[in-house]
Amino acid sequence: MTSPSPPFDFKVADLGLAGFGRKEISLAEHEMPGLMALRAEHGPVQPLAGARITGSLHMTVQTAVLIETLVALGAAVRWASCNIFSTQDHAAAAVAVGPRGRADDPQGVPVFAWKGETLEEYWWCTEQALAWPDGGGPTLLLDDGGDATLLVHQGVATEKAGQAADPEGAGSAEEAVIRRVLQRTLGEDSARWTSVAGGIRGVSEETTTGVHRLYQMQEAGTLLFPAINVNDSVTKSKFDNLYGCRHSLIDGIARATDVMIGGKLAVVCGYGDVGKGCVQSLRGQGARVVVTEIDPICALQAAASGLGWSPSTRWSSGVTSSSPPRATATSSPPPTWPA
Amino acid sequence: MARMKHQAIVGNIGHFDNEIDMAGLEATPGIERVTVKPQVDEWVFPDGHAVIVLAEGRLLNLGCATGHPSFVMSASFTNQVMAQMELHAKADGYENRVYVLSKALDEQVARLHLDHLGVHLSELTEAQASYLGIPQDGPYKPDTYRY
Repeated sequence: MTSPSPPFDFKVADLGLAGFGRKEISLAEHEMPGLMALRAEHGPVQPLAGARITGSLHMTVQTAVLIETLVALGAAVRWASCNIFSTQDHAAAAVAVGPRGRADDPQGVPVFAWKGETLEEYWWCTEQALAWPDGGGPTLLLDDGGDATLLVHQGVATEKAGQAADPEGAGSAEEAVIRRVLQRTLGEDSARWTSVAGGIRGVSEETTTGVHRLYQMQEAGTLLFPAINVNDSVTKSKFDNLYGCRHSLIDGIARATDVMIGGKLAVVCGYGDVGKGCVQSLRGQGARVVVTEIDPICALQAAASGLGWSPSTRWSSGVTSSSPPRATATSSPPPTWPA
Repeated sequence: MARMKHQAIVGNIGHFDNEIDMAGLEATPGIERVTVKPQVDEWVFPDGHAVIVLAEGRLLNLGCATGHPSFVMSASFTNQVMAQMELHAKADGYENRVYVLSKALDEQVARLHLDHLGVHLSELTEAQASYLGIPQDGPYKPDTYRY
């Protein structure tokens, strides 16, 4: 196994945070037995030797353990976050420095991520993660939400059309940013994304939204390489989406506002795996929880899970006559303590 | 949002910021944005009442905290690494379509996380497996099973 020799390109907020990041990565490794077992089992045979992986996934401490597992199995890796706010700067710094590097001698993985990116910076980071120093691209994508996959596919479509869509006509600020990136890359190299796409053997996609995009491309016949839907592994969506949100929803609200949840009325829009975890999270703190749903199966699950139907407390103030039909279930009042 | 109670907290835990109408909120005549701290904003309507929007409408668990804990992400990411190994070794055998990992690998991911919690897994005897008509080493459920 080799590490990139400095200087190599990367961009993080502050390499001085690497020591703190490394300590938290060490704690996380103990709590990530699946990844550590893969390192122990497959590390000696280097099954990812020769792979060049571009990752677009929240640059957190946990993702650092994922990245270093891919490296331990022989892959070369470049990384960007998949959200402008989700990077933990100490984790990004530790990944760039690497387990054997120092802040003044980084020897880790090229990572392009910091907390609080602008949209322009975000897409610049994604573009950097897709651009290897030798001018080539990745052989594999590891995506969360499908932004790396989207940039490659829209890049190929732009090059086929011979012109980029007009940023002025974009439906959102973010779409305008993507169009400007493609306008520029088309001018620099009119075959760049076609070449990158040609080298990609496949993508693994982390989340519901990204998987939805992939199935749409499959239906349209525009998918340029095979895709593995990781989201719908049972050990992903029935764990991460459910128990993960049960943990981190309340954590996010508490750190942001420090508002007491007990006794408050909480409205959870959607009762899929994520919604189920959010409801458990809020009810665990004693909130009165209302679920809104368009899917009759999930609505029935909400009602049958003890989110009892209660017309007197029905949440309806936001529903107008033009809204689609919406099932609403509310929980019974919070249990008394001690029970 | 204009009809929500004063200081109602509005947040999104979905992947993209397309679940809360931030553009509509920003375009509300007379609205004022007061940043409490990074990723926490109070939006004050002209009548003086406000809503608190977390992480600018983007996923609040990662914007305002540190996302999911390591243990559950280990299960997700073990799937990711297995998918990457599969694609690297065998992509030529796949069409340009969307696939899921096999149930055998799914069960393997779960197995790798049991010891850490001190879980002892019961094992079928050959006679029990034969009686039930399922393999002794799995997979234990049909693909249609929803857990």
